[in-house]
Amino acid sequence: MEKKDIIQSFKDSLFTGLIALALFGPIVGLRTASKGEGLYITPQWGIVFLLVGLCIIGRFLINLNSARKTEITFFSKFTSKFSAITEDKAKHFAITAILFAIVFPFLPFTDRYFMDVAIMILTYIMLGWGLNIVVGLAGLLDLGYVAFYAVGAYSYALIATTFGWSFWICLPLAGVFAAFFGILLGFPVLRLRGDYLAIVTLGFGEIIRIILINWYEVTNGPDGITGIPRPSFFGLPFKRSPDEGETSFHLFFNLEYSTMHRIIFLYYLILVLALITNYFTLKIRKLPVGRAWEALREDEIACKSLGVNPTNTKLTAFAIGAMFGGFAGSFFATRQAFISPESFTFIESAIIVAIVVLGGMGSQTGVVLASIFLIGITEMFRDLEQYRMIAFGGAMVLIMVFKPKGILANRKPTILMHGDKK
Amino acid sequence: MSNLLSVENLTMKFGGLTAIDDLSFDAKNNQITSIIGPNGAGKTTVFNCLTGFYKPTNGQMFLHKEDSKISLRKYTDFKIAYVAKVARTFQNIRLFPVMSVLENLLVAQHNELMVASGYSLYGLLNLKTYRDKEQLAVDKARYWLDIIGLTHRADDNAGDLPYGDQRKLEIVRAMCIEPRLLCLDEPAAGLNPKESAELNKLLKFIKTEKQTGILLIEHDMSVVMGISDHVVVLNYGKKIFEGTADQTKNSKEVIEAYLGVDE
Repeated sequence: MEKKDIIQSFKDSLFTGLIALALFGPIVGLRTASKGEGLYITPQWGIVFLLVGLCIIGRFLINLNSARKTEITFFSKFTSKFSAITEDKAKHFAITAILFAIVFPFLPFTDRYFMDVAIMILTYIMLGWGLNIVVGLAGLLDLGYVAFYAVGAYSYALIATTFGWSFWICLPLAGVFAAFFGILLGFPVLRLRGDYLAIVTLGFGEIIRIILINWYEVTNGPDGITGIPRPSFFGLPFKRSPDEGETSFHLFFNLEYSTMHRIIFLYYLILVLALITNYFTLKIRKLPVGRAWEALREDEIACKSLGVNPTNTKLTAFAIGAMFGGFAGSFFATRQAFISPESFTFIESAIIVAIVVLGGMGSQTGVVLASIFLIGITEMFRDLEQYRMIAFGGAMVLIMVFKPKGILANRKPTILMHGDKK
Repeated sequence: MSNLLSVENLTMKFGGLTAIDDLSFDAKNNQITSIIGPNGAGKTTVFNCLTGFYKPTNGQMFLHKEDSKISLRKYTDFKIAYVAKVARTFQNIRLFPVMSVLENLLVAQHNELMVASGYSLYGLLNLKTYRDKEQLAVDKARYWLDIIGLTHRADDNAGDLPYGDQRKLEIVRAMCIEPRLLCLDEPAAGLNPKESAELNKLLKFIKTEKQTGILLIEHDMSVVMGISDHVVVLNYGKKIFEGTADQTKNSKEVIEAYLGVDE
């Protein structure tokens, strides 16, 4: 490399450092802290210089790399190899992952915190798989998916607290309610596509949230609903001291009482729900209705010319996607035992859409990887407090740079004439 | 030979513009009827009226079944293909590019398969009745793929096929709904002479072997004159001539308006 080039890239790096300083200076450098009566600013110049230094060095390295003409292909090689493995050995990969998920609660390093994170990741995986039907297969960009999550959670909470029915009755009911709302949203947006559809669904998500806040008589408004019954293990509650005439889980199985029992049960519950979602999606993709969804995503006019009814096809996609959102919502309600409209803001929808898009539209395994990556990373950096959103953003940027079509973007045909050629 | 389609006094106005002006013609079973004319003559608009994409301002279109006739005006949208069994292809190819060739042909059999799968219920339960019906659908797809010689590419994405093969695939995809009338919008556009010849062969096969009438819009005169039984010439939305291919070639009005004369 010539000397001129080095000087050039050095200047470029310094300029990058300047931009980094302008950004990190006020954002990271100045921190407000409350001491006694008022707010004081505590400067944190050390971190700022560290970040700026990192930016300068990083930029310089990128410049050096591009000057080498042959780029370092390590990362893209790694990811493409990874997708090749997951593709070839899709079955093995899935079985290993499921086995790991089953033994996970009993691994030696698994503690309460890990379990909570795992339950959260599984909830997002289930939501991602549900939304994958609407966005990935039917190609209807839905930015208000959290509305169905909310409908599921509130239907479960209201039915369970009002009638005192068990989780296993309320769960399907919540799914049915959510599916009904899916159809309700589906009707007015039948003629919309792309950006327009996205805006309307976004509005729908907000409408549901605002109704939940304002309809005080039913939803208890911003105070939320408390005392939602916990699920029981086939009639055996997870309680230290059961009520009169009741046997609780630990007594029945002669175990030492531990709060972990309930957590582990919840973990398996969401695992089973998520796997049902996955099985259902994989199955329905290979049925005529699934193929019609994908055809509709590709070309609606061609679909009409072949006699495919676009109205019914879209509505089934909305309804089924919403139903799984509703299931996930009722799980959320029973896990938290408390829900309020605050849990169902737009950011939730955005995260779920991000999981589907980053995973690779329509890819079931991609959703798993993206959920672990996005939710896992934000959890890992929880110590950084509000800066963990930077990690979230960084993770997204990394995926989009190296895998612009999503982590796993390959689509396999739903039916083969000649069988597997390999 | 019996009448299949009769168009009576068809008129289509877009605001002040009259795209089709009082057009009447007939098409017969097992015949190829071509609609030709200069650009903007209203040929594709006729197709859009027939296949339910537009609602004509005036006039009637009838599809004759054995002894009854159904009015195409009553059907719009997907019902034209589903109920009236009128299939069409498009000027710019409209396949499902990231779906496989076989899947493209199965989407065309959607409605039968939907019923066979018990609206997904039997399919989810993986019942044998559905699996058998699905196998029949695959066999039908294979039958058509054998005819256009694309069986070996059945599992490849439709978008990866060469242009000429995509054209042929779109035609057989339309044939998979077992139409009574097949409307082809410039199927030879962009094909080389060899591919055009193959297309002629395919259309002749459909015409003679299937109970299907073909309506064809085309600018490639080698195709039109080679296979048409009947030609309708449009200019500014009006029919200026109707007759056999030979009559059309020698008609003074048609030469003036469209064909031109060799120098």
